[in-house]
Amino acid sequence: MKALLDAELLKMRSTRATALLVLATLVLAVLTVATTVPGVIEENAWISLDDPDLLANVVGNGFGAPLVLMTLLGVLAFTQEFRYGTITSTYLGEPRRTRVLVAKGLSLALASIVITIMTLAVSVACGIALIRSQDGNVTVTGQFWQTVGAGFVVMAAYGVVGVAVGALVPNQIAAVVGVLIWMLAVEQMVIPLFPEVGRWMPFAAASSLMQLGPSYGFDDQLLSVPMGGLVLVGYTAAAVVLALGITPKRDVL
Amino acid sequence: MSIELRVLTKVFGDVLAVDDLSAVAQPGEVTALLGPNGAGKTTTLRMLLGLVAPSSGTATFDGKRYDELTDPIRQVGAVLEASGYHPGRTGLDHLRILATASRLPHDAPERVLAETGLAADANRRVGGFSLGMRQRLGIAAAMLGDPKSLVLDEPTNGLDPPGVRWLRGYVGGLADEGRTVLLSSHALSEVELIADHVLVMARGRLLRSSSLATLREEAGVGSMVRTPDPDRLSAALDAAGHTHRHTDEGLAVDATPEQVGELAALHRIVLHGLEGTADLEKAFFRLTQEPHPPVERPLSAEGVLS
Repeated sequence: MKALLDAELLKMRSTRATALLVLATLVLAVLTVATTVPGVIEENAWISLDDPDLLANVVGNGFGAPLVLMTLLGVLAFTQEFRYGTITSTYLGEPRRTRVLVAKGLSLALASIVITIMTLAVSVACGIALIRSQDGNVTVTGQFWQTVGAGFVVMAAYGVVGVAVGALVPNQIAAVVGVLIWMLAVEQMVIPLFPEVGRWMPFAAASSLMQLGPSYGFDDQLLSVPMGGLVLVGYTAAAVVLALGITPKRDVL
Repeated sequence: MSIELRVLTKVFGDVLAVDDLSAVAQPGEVTALLGPNGAGKTTTLRMLLGLVAPSSGTATFDGKRYDELTDPIRQVGAVLEASGYHPGRTGLDHLRILATASRLPHDAPERVLAETGLAADANRRVGGFSLGMRQRLGIAAAMLGDPKSLVLDEPTNGLDPPGVRWLRGYVGGLADEGRTVLLSSHALSEVELIADHVLVMARGRLLRSSSLATLREEAGVGSMVRTPDPDRLSAALDAAGHTHRHTDEGLAVDATPEQVGELAALHRIVLHGLEGTADLEKAFFRLTQEPHPPVERPLSAEGVLS
């Protein structure tokens, strides 16, 4: 498994697309942080500059774009192989396809650690600088550390779900567009409009875990932190089980 | 390592892509799967390599399915398509990924790049490679594990004449080392220069399994001769009872080169060129166009169809 994992990590490192995606995401994370600190770009009513959890919320909001990135990297891990036909040589090297799927999932989980650290570094540094520029309250609270911990969990889960989606939908355009529509449109509409249903959706579960309900205007509509974590783990497990069931049976033409 | 296809069948929806196919490829030989487009060659090779699940039947290497082989890259090398590369990745990185996944020695990529004449292009992105270079890279990937068997799907596609000549020599050399080579092609002209044994397919069925020599004998023998004195040679051929016709390339004679050469010597006729021809093309078309009963399957790996 280590050899397969090394090969998957080398695949990620050996194209420029990965680095460009990460770079673009970090820029988006900085912009999100800037919009979250009141007074920098806009006045935000949901949190004040005196709130002790301001830094935690600022940093948590910075994960919006990285979550999309992790999912896309996961999706691309499989769909790029189908698109360029490299899946053939991947399966010739390791004909037990479930091992390939597991290696891709693990590689995304490992990559998520690095990308989460980069996101945190950028978000915390920019967040502190911007809050100070507005004479705001920079306090490292318990919620801050919970947000940091949840960030690692959520990023890994989204990466693994992305791999499973890519395994289930080999058409790259369909998979990427589908994921973007789901994450940026469907969930964003359903969660506030139909909170009884929306709170059970993956993004709502992730937001629960990161305690970001108020910042997204969901207030008390989301699940509790432990329940959000459980739901997210459930989605991840379901996606992986489905992919493990279908991947070995699919003809590679 | 022998390759055996046994009663192999694949159905895609309503389409019978491969129909009850049985054949054997032996070590030390180049076996060609020959047939027109849509004959089922690629599907057959993909079933052999575990990429497509057979509807019924088996495809094995020394009795084992591909997914049952230990370290398959060290046992079987395969080139299936020229587009199996990420265009943004260098040729060296492409091979490094394969070598890493299969726990091959670190110097394996450089070795096969040198063998296939791509050492100078190792750090170029594959998107900038010509089709011929991609074919070479595919063969380099197939040879990474120094395998006992080689499976090549239309390996001459996109190769220029020097590339085809290189491939012919390379593949022939591998067979001479005792490896099993199974390749597919739709072009008889390429196969007849490279293969020892041919499996003729059409419409998913095996129509003929034969050595190339046998096929050539059955197709009839002929010669192409060039001479500055065609009228005298023509008269001599008429007198000897050999039918012939004038072509742009010279006189096409229904006789062996030996017979034509001896006749020319007897009549002191100068020849500028003399080579043997066999109308394999005609035999191939006859085989693939006409309805045929299925070929009987071999009973064991040793029993090559004939």
